[in-house]
Amino acid sequence: MPSFEFPLVLVTILASTLAVTSAGRGAWVAIALLALTSSALEFSVADPSHIGFILRISAIGIGLIAALPEGLFEVEALRRDLALRTLFTTLREHPVVVASAGAGLLLGLVPLALPIESSSGALRAAGVALLVVGLPPLLTSRFIEATTRAAVVTLAGTLLLRTSIFGALDPLAAIAIGAGFTCILLVGGSVASRIAKAEEEE
Amino acid sequence: MTAEAALTVIRALFPMLTALSSLALLPLIRLWRDRQHDDAATFATFAVQGMLLLTSVGTLLAGAGYVSTLKIGEITIDPSEPGRLLVVLGGIVFAVIVGAGEGRRASVMGQIALFGLAAIDLALAIPSGIAPIALLLFASLAISGAAASGKDDVGRARAVFRDFRTISLLLPAVVIAEILRTAISYAAIDPAYATPASLAAGTALGVSLVVIVAAGVFPFHNRLIRIFEALPIVGSLLVGVWIPSALALIVMSELSALGSSITDPLGGAIVPGILLAGAVTLIFGAISALLHDDIGEIVGFIAVGNAGWLALAAAAALSSPTDTSSRLIVLPGMLSVSLFGLWLVSVRRRYGTTSISELGGWARRTSANGIVLIAAIVALAALPPGAVLAARLNLLLLSGNPLIAVLAILGQVALIAAAVRLLLVGFTPASQAVHEAETRPLVNLITIPLIVGALFTAAAAAGWLALESGGTGPLPPAPSVSPGASFDPAPSAEPSGVPSAEPTPTTTTAPEVTPDVSPSGSGEISPAP
Repeated sequence: MPSFEFPLVLVTILASTLAVTSAGRGAWVAIALLALTSSALEFSVADPSHIGFILRISAIGIGLIAALPEGLFEVEALRRDLALRTLFTTLREHPVVVASAGAGLLLGLVPLALPIESSSGALRAAGVALLVVGLPPLLTSRFIEATTRAAVVTLAGTLLLRTSIFGALDPLAAIAIGAGFTCILLVGGSVASRIAKAEEEE
Repeated sequence: MTAEAALTVIRALFPMLTALSSLALLPLIRLWRDRQHDDAATFATFAVQGMLLLTSVGTLLAGAGYVSTLKIGEITIDPSEPGRLLVVLGGIVFAVIVGAGEGRRASVMGQIALFGLAAIDLALAIPSGIAPIALLLFASLAISGAAASGKDDVGRARAVFRDFRTISLLLPAVVIAEILRTAISYAAIDPAYATPASLAAGTALGVSLVVIVAAGVFPFHNRLIRIFEALPIVGSLLVGVWIPSALALIVMSELSALGSSITDPLGGAIVPGILLAGAVTLIFGAISALLHDDIGEIVGFIAVGNAGWLALAAAAALSSPTDTSSRLIVLPGMLSVSLFGLWLVSVRRRYGTTSISELGGWARRTSANGIVLIAAIVALAALPPGAVLAARLNLLLLSGNPLIAVLAILGQVALIAAAVRLLLVGFTPASQAVHEAETRPLVNLITIPLIVGALFTAAAAAGWLALESGGTGPLPPAPSVSPGASFDPAPSAEPSGVPSAEPTPTTTTAPEVTPDVSPSGSGEISPAP
């Protein structure tokens, strides 16, 4: 796993950046990718039976299935929204977020103070980058779907940073956090659909 | 599984098992009564009230101790006495509130209460790390989402959205506090780092933020008011009062451990800052409660006042770690606000309005509601003076600042005045809404439990029953810093700044309680053999 660590970190950070900058399909696919890669990173530390990883992926999967907006899986639209050019344009339109992600990566790679000195550099870098990318939209966004995705990014970053210092979560904490991811996605999806419905009626 | 193991599972997880069984039982009851008698809602409400009372009695019988401790592999669930006490009283309080609320969704609200109490019990039974705090935060979010569902009300959805943002921000705060706490031990052995006192201040700030934000301490009071405005009363009480109080018990234990591990004064102005926030919250909540004319908002501001006491208690836990007054006031506060919630739901159900101007004469028309509000006022004032009042005064003495004490006393008096104002409105000439409302005789299936439940809750809140809620014990020292092969080795020196003594969680249902005795007494959990 360590040889894959750094590429996974880069994919995780890219997915988190797309999750908060894209709209619609691109963002949801990025969130699914982020869930996969950040969980793989988090449980690369100590999870011999892979139960923690499977639990986390299942929890986020259930939440995503419930939260996904309708009509997400239209093949043509998916192909258009996930085209490299579209993704690149999205990133180019949000230079501040991209720069924040890069700065977070660099900041995380440099050990600042104990106990961070004794932590895993790659996980710490991913954690700090995700926090830097996720926190601003979580604090300021007026859009519920975007806030939901920012909450997932922030929570994933928090857990990566924690894992880099303390190691893997204990089983009960892993269950609680898994349930938390599901809860965030379910409640976010439900609130978004209710407000959208009310606004349509108005 | 042996019979003994099955019994341990039932003891350890009784509230959760009851909540889960409601998922099967209530649909069956609805199906049965809808097919044959068309009174499904009424029967489902009775059933859920029965389950809440069953939770209360079953939890009381199961108790907390090593016979209730469940071990599943590495997972330990060790029911705590504060958690069990909260469920015992919560079962009764919410059964009465669900009964007073009546209506089509009363049984759903009862189910939400069952799950909320189960989450509180489980969280206070988890002895380690961030799991209990995460569980309570996410339970709060799930409850607000569930309580707001079933009605296409944009106001409710927006209140949940606001709550969603807050909850999502609190977990990173806890993790940062955890990281800072770990750094304290390193600072103690390496003078190149920040001082233990300043790192402890950062930890205290991060952990206190959980209570300050979740409970609705000024300037985060707006969340609490919106919750009371938008959510049904069961959801409001759980999300705005019960879960924050359970969080407060965890946080106070953590703050006590932190305070006792630092010999120098804490860095920054953490303790004065929390004290000031608490006193300002009390004054702000009280004045707002006096100025508003909507009884939903007034009850919300009374809850804000209670949050002020929680902040004062958090500061006392930090500055005087061995004093138990801070934990003693948590339970009475939540019971007092619950009584106001009971009164609110009962009056709103009877008269269909929440405006004071339309509620003239309500107490003369429905004397049962009058009794509930008098019980709530007695609970708020903690009369006659006893352990609860002594604990509050002790908190003010511990603050060591006359200004804080004066502000808090003025705030509490103004809160009581706001509640008395509600009662006086009930004796003015009857308004049209009150005059035209249908009332029921004093002796019936809803009114009698309402009065009995209110008197019981007031007795517990005012200190007549002498219930003491202790903490859950501190979060244990942070886990090892070198869990995997990819990590560099941790420093060889043993951390010296981490707390060494673990306060014993106490919950006493003995006849007498002295607020400032050290945590021991009859409620001690026996160690596992």
